[in-house]
Amino acid sequence: MTQTLQDMATSGRMEIRDLSITYRKPKSDEVFTAVDGVSLTIEKGSFVTIVGSSGCGKSTLLLAMAGLIPKASGVITLGGLEVTKPGRDRAMVFQDASLLPWRTVHGNVRFALELQRWKRDDIDERALRYVRMVGLGAFADYHPHQLSGGMRQRVNIARALCVDPDVLLMDEPFGALDAQTREVMCDELLRIWERDKKTAVFVTHAIDEAIFLGDRVVVMGRNPGHVRDVIEIDLPRPRTNAMLDSAAFVEYRRRLREYIAADLAALQMVEALV
Amino acid sequence: MTAITSTQGTVAGEGRTFLFKRYYRPIVSTLAVLGFLLLWEVAVTLGWVNGRFTSQPTQIYRAALVIFAEDDFGWHCGVSFVSFALGFAMALAVSIPLGLYLGVSRWGRLFLEPPLMALYTAPRIVLLPILIVWLGIGLASKVAIVFLGAVFPIMVNTMAGVRGADHRLATAARAFGATPMDIFLKVLVPGSLPAILMGVRLGVGRGVLSVVIGEMFVSEAGIGHQIMTYGQALQFSKLLVYAFTISLFGYGLTVAVRMLEDRIRNWRPSS
Ligand SMILES: Nc1ncnc2c1ncn2[C@@H]1O[C@H](COP(=O)(O)OP(=O)(O)OP(=O)(O)O)[C@@H](O)[C@H]1O
Ligand SMILES: [Mg+2]
Repeated sequence: MTQTLQDMATSGRMEIRDLSITYRKPKSDEVFTAVDGVSLTIEKGSFVTIVGSSGCGKSTLLLAMAGLIPKASGVITLGGLEVTKPGRDRAMVFQDASLLPWRTVHGNVRFALELQRWKRDDIDERALRYVRMVGLGAFADYHPHQLSGGMRQRVNIARALCVDPDVLLMDEPFGALDAQTREVMCDELLRIWERDKKTAVFVTHAIDEAIFLGDRVVVMGRNPGHVRDVIEIDLPRPRTNAMLDSAAFVEYRRRLREYIAADLAALQMVEALV
Repeated sequence: MTAITSTQGTVAGEGRTFLFKRYYRPIVSTLAVLGFLLLWEVAVTLGWVNGRFTSQPTQIYRAALVIFAEDDFGWHCGVSFVSFALGFAMALAVSIPLGLYLGVSRWGRLFLEPPLMALYTAPRIVLLPILIVWLGIGLASKVAIVFLGAVFPIMVNTMAGVRGADHRLATAARAFGATPMDIFLKVLVPGSLPAILMGVRLGVGRGVLSVVIGEMFVSEAGIGHQIMTYGQALQFSKLLVYAFTISLFGYGLTVAVRMLEDRIRNWRPSS
């Protein structure tokens, strides 16, 4: 009994302590520190967005949370357990090109269930349910190349949600989409997320997107990648498009822009020096 | 979109254009062949070329009737077919697993790629004398030469297919907890199927060529043997009957593999 209570309190809560990640530099034995000394707590059921200029280590951080790349130092725990490899408690939405081109929409969603060894008899139906949930019921038999970019990302989201993860990791899922489609997709993502409030981590370049979606916005800086600030977004849910023009939103936007601008200025100075 | 229109009834009149659209490839190809045969026939009759060396469609037709009646035609075809089928089956059984293995294993490539590539690029006909010494004149040598002809294109293409697979798909699969075996079976193998089939198609061509060459030198029967015999006797019409037979066989098989490729490729944007 105490065990289950504890599970309920901690499953879906992610803790990152002093995380550093290094890559080997191409064609040399030197290492490159992509992420350095990152500590972050992501509460169960919260929606956390990560912004930062290109190359500051957002994807790297997310890949580490997914357990797809090794850590140089530090720990990541999820629900109290250390994350060392991919697991059923997490699912990832990639930016693009992660659907199997030879499988249909339904087949791609089913793929995730197959990999996680869900019981054979109900995976077809479960996959179809999630295809419908993202509004692609009529396209279940289409192949990825027959879909628009937005539709493909819906499939990616359906695939990640259908395995019922505790944490949903999204790496610029709407990065390749045009501004209008992005807005629609954000609304939709929130609508789906409001249902069961899974812990969500969402990487983006777009400041408005980060504020609109997030309970908290993590601002990352570069050289090496680190957390500069974590901004609580105190806007009520459900979020509406009207909030985009509210005084509070404008203020958040201003603060975030300043961070990013400072980061870019620093980068230009470094580049001017070398 | 074409899938939708093709299953729905069309307005009267549109039907004929639709039929033409659907069958224009075979129609155009058939017309091209007929045109060529006609030109050939006329060129010999009008004395543009010497029919003694080029033969003529009508002469070939007459030669064919003679061959069907007196030449044990079916038996020669059967002999060739058995050598081809055995050699090709062995090639498939070896090349696909080996190609898949070499595609995923760096060590395998380090060890096996240099000798295999040397064999691939060397003209395999130079091995024929050695094969004869090893295996004697007859079926075994022919099967071996077909095997050697077909095995490399299939293997090399399979390997290239696996190596060229989109690694992002494998990463995505791993994110969902895929085991290495899952990735191999559900990502790499289906992803390289088009390349494998392309290799098979090239292998068919090589295999057919090999069976004919093999029979020219190491056989007492078969299509290649008959071609050699009639060639030495300067009976080109009869030679061409056998040449067409083997071409038709190779072409038919190639088309069959093509159709399989098209079926499997239906997930690809049509080019
Ligand atoms: N596989 C790798 N090998 C070596 N260096 C890498 C590798 N992946 C990323 N890096 C480096 O790590 C740094 C951070 O990369 P990362 O992809 O995490 O950035 P990002 O913040 O996601 O950028 P973007 O917003 O453009 O996607 C970059 O400088 C990049 O060059
Ligand atoms: Mg990135």
